[in-house]
Parts: sequence; C-alpha cells; structure tokens
Amino acid sequence: MKPIIKADSLGKKYHLGRRETVAPTLREALKDSLKSAAQLIRGRNRSDPIVWALDDVSFEVQPGEVVGIIGRNGAGKSTLLRILARITRPTRGLADLYGRTGSLLGVGTGFHPDLTGRENIYLNGAILGMNKQEITRKFDEIVAFAQVEGFLDTPAKRYSSGMYLRLGFAIAAHLEPDILLLDEVLTIADASFQKKCLQKIKDASRDGTTVLFVSHNLTSVKQVCDRAIHIHSGQLYDDGAPEAVISNYLKSISH
Amino acid sequence: MSTSLNDANAVISTALPRSRSNQLPAEPVTRIRPSRFWESLDFAELWTQREVLYFLMWRDLKVRYKQTIIGAAWVIVQPILITIVFAVFLGKLIRVPSDGVPYPIFAYTALLLWTFVSNAVLSSSYSLVTNAQIITRVYFSRLLIPAAAVGVRLVDLLIATLVLIGLMIYFQVPITWNVLMFPVFVAEIAALTLAVGLICAALNVRYRDVGTMLPILLQVWMFLSPVVYSSSLIPERLRVVYFLNPLAGIIDGARASLFNLPFFWAHIAISALVTFPMLVFSIHLFRRMESSFADDV
Repeated sequence: MKPIIKADSLGKKYHLGRRETVAPTLREALKDSLKSAAQLIRGRNRSDPIVWALDDVSFEVQPGEVVGIIGRNGAGKSTLLRILARITRPTRGLADLYGRTGSLLGVGTGFHPDLTGRENIYLNGAILGMNKQEITRKFDEIVAFAQVEGFLDTPAKRYSSGMYLRLGFAIAAHLEPDILLLDEVLTIADASFQKKCLQKIKDASRDGTTVLFVSHNLTSVKQVCDRAIHIHSGQLYDDGAPEAVISNYLKSISH
Repeated sequence: MSTSLNDANAVISTALPRSRSNQLPAEPVTRIRPSRFWESLDFAELWTQREVLYFLMWRDLKVRYKQTIIGAAWVIVQPILITIVFAVFLGKLIRVPSDGVPYPIFAYTALLLWTFVSNAVLSSSYSLVTNAQIITRVYFSRLLIPAAAVGVRLVDLLIATLVLIGLMIYFQVPITWNVLMFPVFVAEIAALTLAVGLICAALNVRYRDVGTMLPILLQVWMFLSPVVYSSSLIPERLRVVYFLNPLAGIIDGARASLFNLPFFWAHIAISALVTFPMLVFSIHLFRRMESSFADDV
C-alpha cells in the first residue's frame, strides 16, 4: 500500500555555538563586537561546533498506523517530530506527507491566560488549523471531553494544570487530521485521563488517522502502537513490532 | 506550485465531513525539504490561514480591553496628548508654520499616522519573540504573526481617525473631493509599516539588539518626517534626499487630501517607488529567515 508519510534520509544539523568568554579589555570587547557584526553579514560562524540531531533517517508509515517513537533523552525524537510538523526545516533529506497534519507538541499552545476557556478553545483551534465553523460544530464535544463544563467563562489563568492539559488535548484530539503528531504530552496527565487519551488515539486510528507518538512511557507505547521506532543518537536504530523494539531498547540502556 | 494547490484543497476539504476512504492524494499535501535561498510566497496557503490572522488580531484586541479601564479610549488619548504637547511648544511658543491649517489639527493628522507606524513597527518587531511558544509548537505561515500586530494597530488608527473627523468639524475645515485620496495614503502607510515591521521582526529573532535599538531609531525617523512640522521648512536643495524617506511623501499627501492643499505628485511617486519594492524585499527576507525562527527564538 502507498505510504502516507515518506521520510527520505532526513538530517538536521545544529550549531552548538561557542561559549562566550568575557572580553578582558574594551579593545577586546570592541574587536568581538566587530567580529559578531561581520558574522551577522556573513551568516553563521563556520568554526562553530556542530551536532547532527538527526542523521540520515528514512522510514515509511502506512495510513492508519500508530507508530511509537522511543529513545533516550536527546536522541532526536522530538527533532524528527518537529521536522514533520514543519516547525523546523531539515538540513538534508525530504519528507512527503499525503494528508492534513495536526500536531500536539505541547499542551495548550497559544492559550492566553487572560482569555476565558471558551475564547481559548476558538483561539487554540484556529491556531491548530480548524476554521470557525469546525470549532463551533465540535465545541460541545471538546468541552465534554475536557470536563471543563463549569469553567467556560473562567479565565484560563485560574485553571489547574490538569484542566489546562485536558482542554489542550481535547482541542487537538478533535482536529481530526489525517496524520496526528504527538510529543510526550500525556506525561503530566493523571491515570484516568491518560487512559481516555490513549482510547481516543486508538479510536482515531480505527477511523484511519495515522499517529506518530513520542513517548517515554513504554507501557502506553505497547498498548496503543502497531509499530515502534527506536532512535539512537540521531539515527534510526530499530524499527518493528513494539514488543521487539522495546525489549531491544531496554537491553541497550542496561549496558 | 502543485503542492501549494493541494495544500489549499486539503485545508478547504476539511470543512466538509471527511470521507475515511484510504484514497491518498497522488501528490503529497506537504513536501518537507531543506530551506532554499528563494522561498516563494505561498498565497494559497496564506488564504487558507486567513482565520489565524483574524484570531490573532481578535486575541490581542480582546486581551488589551480586558486589562484596561478605559479600553478603546487609549487609542485616542495617546495621539491627543502628544498633539497637545506639540501644539503648546511648537504651535504656540515657537510658532512653527503649518501651511495655513490650525496647528493642532495639522499635527494631529500626522501624529495619528505616526502613532500607527511607531506602535505597529514596535509590536510587530516583538511579535515573534512574544509568540515564541506558538512558533516552536505549531506550524502556520509565520508572516501572519507580525501582520496581525500591524492589523491590530490599523484598527486603532481607524478609531483615532473618528476623532480626526470630529476635529475637522470643530475647526471648520472644508472637506473636498481630495479626501478620497486619504484611504490610499492609509493603505500605503500600512504597506510601508508592514515592510519595516517584517524586517525588524525577522532580525529581532536572531539579534535582539534590533528590539533595543528600535525605540531610538523610531524617534529619529519621526523627526526626519514632517510629523510636527511642515516639509515646506526643508530647504529646496535638501528635498531630493528628504523625500527619499517614503513617510514624508505619504504624510504630506495625507495632509493635502484633508486640507485641500496641492498634491506634490513627484514626492508621492517617490514614496510609492520606495515602499513597494521594500515590501517585496521584506517578504523575501522574512521567508528566507522564517525556516530558522523555531531554532533561534
């Protein structure tokens, strides 16, 4: 079958930047500022140390698949998701997405603390890519899912972090994209809401949504994913059935 | 090109109930690739995301009025207070000539436009940094963020224009057909402001020095433009250089349209010839730098 996501040797290079030393004299300071002015014109300093946060990663995802992305901190999982969500551009490679993409890389993105829950649903929905009619149509469903019925006219700054999270997830979950990108968003949710979210992911996948899901919670990866990808220092290390990939991953970190 | 058309279709189609057939489009909806030197402006994408522009403006207006007591009145108070200060010092004490128009209304007209330029350039310059959380987490055309900041100030300008109409009635300024040119100058000043705002916003992401320098540079720009004085004070031999500042031609033109003064078409033409290429350049620069905003902000 034709894949819905096709990533072809994606790479992302970051300049780490040199640690600035404090100029000892005014002359040195002036020299430094001239140097940085020159850099401003020339672009980046060529001698900066660099790191490939993602290096030659290729994979394909079939429509409706739920793929868990696992790996240590700093392995490049989030970089991969950020590239697919178009937050940042790859340095090398290509990726083709054959569907509308929705991403939840942080909860309550764009929520304004002074706006009410109702206003924030519209604002956040629009930012995530829904139009006004769509939001109005799904409004009640979103509110019910987030369990914030009594707080719609309360400014978001008075919300508890749990309410913030629930509302943020609820809006994104009702986006109904073809491809849903989720980054580590459920870590602060309580057990019952986590369960509800995982169920929502499963339902979405049954309806044909393709889900890419970064998580450190290996149990939930096992529960909802059809497939897992292990990324290790920027490279695709392992790809296959969740049980096998997870047990290899656990072996690799015990060393 | 075909990608952008598909992009548009993809977003439009979501307004309808989605059919969950496994029929994937032949062409990718989105193609992700490294940034190139020339990033063309995707008008189809901007059009599909116009509601984001609306909601960003709506948010800023709503939040502003929630936090203030007199709300919308601030929009009028700022240019009025500045007008009073200049009317006393320049109009009464120094008696700056104002082309035969009462000084307060002469100054208010330009201060209204200047307040828009200054506030819009400042808020669009800081807009990407203040919206960093959104930029690092959701994708939509980043151009919409500074554009919304300018849009909000444009709403302010329209409100402040109502006061101008009141002042014109009070000072019994006769209104002529020339007034039809006023919206044209407002459109041009909006284009100029967007251009400057986009350049400063893009640069401010990587070099925060821009934001620090900006208030001073704006002050200089104000005194280089005929805001609180008339451009007729500028010596003939300096005018060629003076009117390279597009704001000079625009402000003179706006005054001419309201007070039935002669239009200096050469100055107006120069301002347009500077403004529009600058807008094209600013969009190019912004698109060029946009791909690294999330990494730099």
